[in-house]
Amino acid sequence: MTPKRLLPALFITLLLALQTFAQQRTITGRVTDNTGAPVAGATVTVKGTNIATSTGSDGTYRLNVPESAGTLVISAVGYGNMDAAITGSTVDVGLATSQSNLNEVVVVGYGTARKRDLTGSVASVKAKDFNQGVFASPDNLIQGKVAGVQVINNTGAPGGASTIRIRGISSIRSGNAPLIVVDGVPLSGGSTQPGLDNALGTTPGDNPLNFLNPADIASMDILKDASATAIYGSRGANGVIVVTTKKGSAGAPKVEFSTQLGTSNILRQIKVLDAAGYRAALKEYNLTSGDYGGNVNAMNEILRTGFTQNYNLAVTGGNDNGRYRLSAGYMNQEGIVLESGFKKITVGLTSSFRFTESRRVGLDVNVLFGNTLTNSAPIGNNSGFQGSLIGNALQWNPTHPLRKPNDSIWINNQLGATTINPLALLAAYDDRTNLNNIIASISPSYKILNNLEYRMLYAINYSQSERRSSMRNWLNFTGNLGSAQIGNNRAVNQTITHTLNYTPQLTNNIRMDAVVGYEYLRYDFKGSGMGSNRFFDYPQLDYTDYMQNAPANDRFIYSFAPPLSELQSLFARATFNFGDRFVLTGTIRRDGSSKFGANNKYGIFPSVAGAWNIMNEDFLKGSKNISNLKLRASWGQTGNQEFPSGVAQRRVNIGVLDNTSVANFENPDVKWETNTMVNVGLDLGLFANRLTITADWFSRKTTDPLFAATPVAPAPSSGVIWQNLDASIVNSGFEFSLNYALIRNANLTWNIGGNIAFLKNEVRDLNGSYQTGGLHGQGISGATSQLIAAGQPLNVYYLRKFEGIDKTSGQSIYADNEKLFYSGSPNPTRIYGITTDMTWKRMFASANFNGAAGHYLYNNTANSVINVGNLGTRNISAAIPGTGENLSNAIAPSTRYLEKGDYLKLANMTIGYRVGDFGKAFRNVTVTLTGQNLFVITKFTGFDPEVNVDKNVNGIPSAGIEYIPYPTARTILLGLTFGL
Amino acid sequence: MKYVKYLSVVLGTVVAVSCTKLEEVQRDSINFQKASATGLLQGAYNSLGGLQTQDVVWALMEHSSDEALGPTRGPDWDDNGVWRVVHNHQWDADHNIVRNSFNSLLTAQFSATAVLEQSPTNSEAAQARFIRALSMFLVLDLYDQVPYREDLKDLKQLPETLKGVAAADKIISELNAVISTLPDASANTWVANKDAARALLMKTYLNKGVYANRAVPTFAAADMNQVITLADQILGNSRYALADNFFTNFAPNNNSASKELLFTLENTVGVRGGNNRFNWFCTLHYNQRPSGWNGFTTLADFYDKFEAADTRRGGSYPGLTNVTGLRTGFLEGQQFDQNGVALKDRKGNNLAFTRTVALKETGNNLEITGIRVIKYVPDFSQGIDGNAENEYVILRLADVMLMKAEALMRTGQEPAARAILNTLRAKRGASTLTSAITLQTVLDERGREMYWEGWRRNDQIRFGTFLNGVGPTRPNKSGNERLLFPIPNQQLAVNSNLTQNPGY
Repeated sequence: MTPKRLLPALFITLLLALQTFAQQRTITGRVTDNTGAPVAGATVTVKGTNIATSTGSDGTYRLNVPESAGTLVISAVGYGNMDAAITGSTVDVGLATSQSNLNEVVVVGYGTARKRDLTGSVASVKAKDFNQGVFASPDNLIQGKVAGVQVINNTGAPGGASTIRIRGISSIRSGNAPLIVVDGVPLSGGSTQPGLDNALGTTPGDNPLNFLNPADIASMDILKDASATAIYGSRGANGVIVVTTKKGSAGAPKVEFSTQLGTSNILRQIKVLDAAGYRAALKEYNLTSGDYGGNVNAMNEILRTGFTQNYNLAVTGGNDNGRYRLSAGYMNQEGIVLESGFKKITVGLTSSFRFTESRRVGLDVNVLFGNTLTNSAPIGNNSGFQGSLIGNALQWNPTHPLRKPNDSIWINNQLGATTINPLALLAAYDDRTNLNNIIASISPSYKILNNLEYRMLYAINYSQSERRSSMRNWLNFTGNLGSAQIGNNRAVNQTITHTLNYTPQLTNNIRMDAVVGYEYLRYDFKGSGMGSNRFFDYPQLDYTDYMQNAPANDRFIYSFAPPLSELQSLFARATFNFGDRFVLTGTIRRDGSSKFGANNKYGIFPSVAGAWNIMNEDFLKGSKNISNLKLRASWGQTGNQEFPSGVAQRRVNIGVLDNTSVANFENPDVKWETNTMVNVGLDLGLFANRLTITADWFSRKTTDPLFAATPVAPAPSSGVIWQNLDASIVNSGFEFSLNYALIRNANLTWNIGGNIAFLKNEVRDLNGSYQTGGLHGQGISGATSQLIAAGQPLNVYYLRKFEGIDKTSGQSIYADNEKLFYSGSPNPTRIYGITTDMTWKRMFASANFNGAAGHYLYNNTANSVINVGNLGTRNISAAIPGTGENLSNAIAPSTRYLEKGDYLKLANMTIGYRVGDFGKAFRNVTVTLTGQNLFVITKFTGFDPEVNVDKNVNGIPSAGIEYIPYPTARTILLGLTFGL
Repeated sequence: MKYVKYLSVVLGTVVAVSCTKLEEVQRDSINFQKASATGLLQGAYNSLGGLQTQDVVWALMEHSSDEALGPTRGPDWDDNGVWRVVHNHQWDADHNIVRNSFNSLLTAQFSATAVLEQSPTNSEAAQARFIRALSMFLVLDLYDQVPYREDLKDLKQLPETLKGVAAADKIISELNAVISTLPDASANTWVANKDAARALLMKTYLNKGVYANRAVPTFAAADMNQVITLADQILGNSRYALADNFFTNFAPNNNSASKELLFTLENTVGVRGGNNRFNWFCTLHYNQRPSGWNGFTTLADFYDKFEAADTRRGGSYPGLTNVTGLRTGFLEGQQFDQNGVALKDRKGNNLAFTRTVALKETGNNLEITGIRVIKYVPDFSQGIDGNAENEYVILRLADVMLMKAEALMRTGQEPAARAILNTLRAKRGASTLTSAITLQTVLDERGREMYWEGWRRNDQIRFGTFLNGVGPTRPNKSGNERLLFPIPNQQLAVNSNLTQNPGY
């Protein structure tokens, strides 16, 4: 059975099974929060019984209760318990007291904390506040939601990689992505999708979080300062995102079903000439050739309206002794580029059991499985002068038909032997990745005393991926004789964690919350692959199915297995609450890593923090306007150890037979890089928390930055030695977020929120400078655009200064004889988000904007793909005619292609209607209409200012460069949700 | 409470199993201590691969000379100006090719020294020391300063720096120490051998005066006599003979067909190979077969040094011209396909390569300017665009003959020198020299014979013509500092035993 058929069948079976429910008295109602918004997933229990249910996405519930029942207990993640008397057949509950917000539970490392006990900078985003729409990976759920957290979709490709930055970037070479922890299991950060280098260059990677189903996620907690992240030690430097999946709630089995169907189209086009414009340009330049009589728009020919479908089904239930949630999801997103797309099947089980009379023994078992099938478009990050699909389409001469009169694709066209017809490339190219990822965890626990609990977690994350790609031999790519590659990777990552949690009331006034633990992690990664570079074309066959067709000399195979990477740690945290007025937290972690050099096997990462709940001081008690006021301060150290395993030793690589070469210099001193962060924050609530404000100032200094440095020659061919440099990187910033319940009454609620972060970034004391930001395309082989240099922001642009086009020669003029200048930063100085939501009776609506400003993007596409020199054969940018630029003006990197990156994007907007119950079977029926990427305000001339094509040079990451990426889609979705 | 017992058992087991010493174990590579000298020697040969590609040592040796340049052709080949500045002598210490060449050559030294650490046989040690000497020679020639490690025991210790004549003396003593142990020259010309070592010794003696004073070199008679003696030892070996067809030396089957090869880099698909295709890709137009990158050209003045009958100027070559229309040697004027149909460029102009070329081409004919050079015969055995199996030639017989002639000239033995040139010229179809020749004649002959083989800069410096302008692409005489490349800034920053060369 195909997944498409399987799901409805499963659905009907469940529907029948659940019709057998005993009828007594029925109570209905709606649970809302302090802003009047519905609380989904709240548990409603008849006090003193196991009779329970939970609320639907609109906050409503229906519960059959015994006639004797008098009180309901309402509880929800993030809120305190609340009793409500049963006064009639309708019981609406508002979890809307000011205290509920402060009793909200926030997930912190290896445990939870009441929000009022927080001393660090932690932002929690619950499911109800997530961005709306269909997302391949969950990082998009929090885009624009949290001050100081930037999520960039690197390109528009479905399932494509994203860039997540918490409080800017601090590492030159060791990675700037935060640690992601899913239900206590830290992820390795990488995807097992095999990399692919082919005629197009290096193809972009996928998102390592694709295997998660956004619909299974209950909350995402972002740990920003060192007080919160130091408990993650040598992996906490870039911040931590703790993902908590939805759990079952007590009550009879319930079914939640949701579906979204929609269509996608290109958000924004890059302006090139149309046929008429092209003919005019030929005339302007007195060119007699170059008009082939046709009229085509090649970009439109490779694009389509993509159809998206997404189905999610969840069954939850249980009682006091055990709860479960079983979920299944199917997503099929057609890309807006022909042939491309992304399919995903997820199955999840979370369960929690309590044993023995006293219920002291518990067991949690979670399994999350995801299968993704990515069909990648022929696009490369660093394609050469023959480009890749998007470049070929932009460059295609709009007067040259794409098809011959007999309708066949015009492969060997009249535009020269090296010009690729984008339709031919699409037809000749195939690239599919099938990836399976499973996280299974088992976590027994034992309550030794009422305030002392032991917990163990064992988790295995198994990921396996196969990628098959091919290019037919008839494509006129230079050197192409037909090629195929198959790559297989697998990762087996295991985690064992033991924690002991102790929460004694030390005195009347002092409460302690302490955790100590031991953790062991083991990352095992292996891969293999093969390729053939010459084929006889059997048109009906896929090259990857008969790779032996290539002569022996045109085949290759490889396999690899980096050393196992192990991490062994001890950690502890203690929080002391002094009468709810002062809170003090200290954490410490000792991390040992097999990757570190022999002289630095173990590192220690401490933090201390304090908070003053000024609200609870006498002088503020009973204040009319101020409902919350808290001051926080923290200091701590975290590490970053994302460098390859094996670099501490003098290793020898193996070639053909007994043929070896030294791979790298040993460095027995290599260790983590250290982040020291100071954070001062203020939480303010006004007017019964109708207005809440959080402000944080932080400064973090990265010392001992890891770098693949230039070794002293003579040195091995890899040319690097991993070492900790004497330099430092300093990030500082100010974050501000605000939420305001503008209107709050029975029929109408309106909330508005916003956040903004101001960020500064500087490299200090670096000896020498390093190039990155590689540029590609015709005429700029080997050129780079960015530097890592002291006194400058990371990735500062280093370019010729463009001073216009010389009126007489038509050539570019550069300042100071083509000298290179520091020319601005690709790192935004401001990142922001605006959210608003509104309910009116049964209608509701929300909108989420995000954006960034103060940075520059480099338009490598305009630089080398649609440049003036193409005129006469291929297409050019629509901005060129009339500038007087000479056809022979050299393609040179310069500030001419540096564009302001400021933007504001309406990332998603939803309007919906709660139909309510429909017949006896369907509960909480809700319909929604959602738009994603509805518009973007920017002066950037590429597809999307939200872009980050990987243009690393020797592994030093780039930032903010656009190069013929997969265009961003605008999606309109119709959604339907109901329960059973 | 039995759960507690179970739990503590589980807990105890888990802790016991999971405690680790965090030792890192290699899986797809080995520790250096376990590597064999035999394997490392193969790796050392591979590490010379940087010599046979367009953007490392070859670019410094050729683009800076009077026989090659890489013009920027409007939208193509700007590459941040890297090619232009090598040709017009404007490079600096951050230049990519200057840096990559330094590192690449010294990697060869490192790889060769690694062999010596792992108990090699006498022959293996001798081969490794030859590779190391070759690397040192090229670093000395380009940069004057050679960072040198006797062994790899303590890599934290900075390498010592050998400079100028001291470095040359070290190379000479190394080569003299290994000649008798090296294998005899064999059919595998990529294996270091006695004659290869002799030829490299000749190069070192010949240039020793240059390394003492590059601006005004003087040549000691003793050194020149060494060159002559070594040449005679090589010429006495009956395995060598000048090729009947000059281009056989560079053909796909050159290792078996040519008897001129002393030392080469092996290109055997599936075994070992480098980027030898660059020899034709770097110069051919897109619309030629094989389709090239439409890049490098030679200069008209250089092209004019050939007599019309000189076979080294090029012509048709069986298996090439009849298959693709492409000819060997210098490509000037209209180009044709194998059926004699005239080719066009991408703009529709006739593909007729012009004599004139500018460093920055801006006209409508920018795709067709400059005379192209096909010294290596493209290998079609792996397909028109496939990998090449031509061995890359480092040292060969004609070079030995010309070095001997030069040493004779420098010791006042003009008739003997002229006789050698005439032997060579007769084989290449050039006229006999009847009147007394000068050093300039020897340099010109070296140009005609050795063009685009990666030695031109070395030759021009020795003959004192390197700083001269070469016409419109480099009109003026360069400063003396251009006789050396700068030490790359990146290495200066990490190695305090290096000092920047004067003038940078």
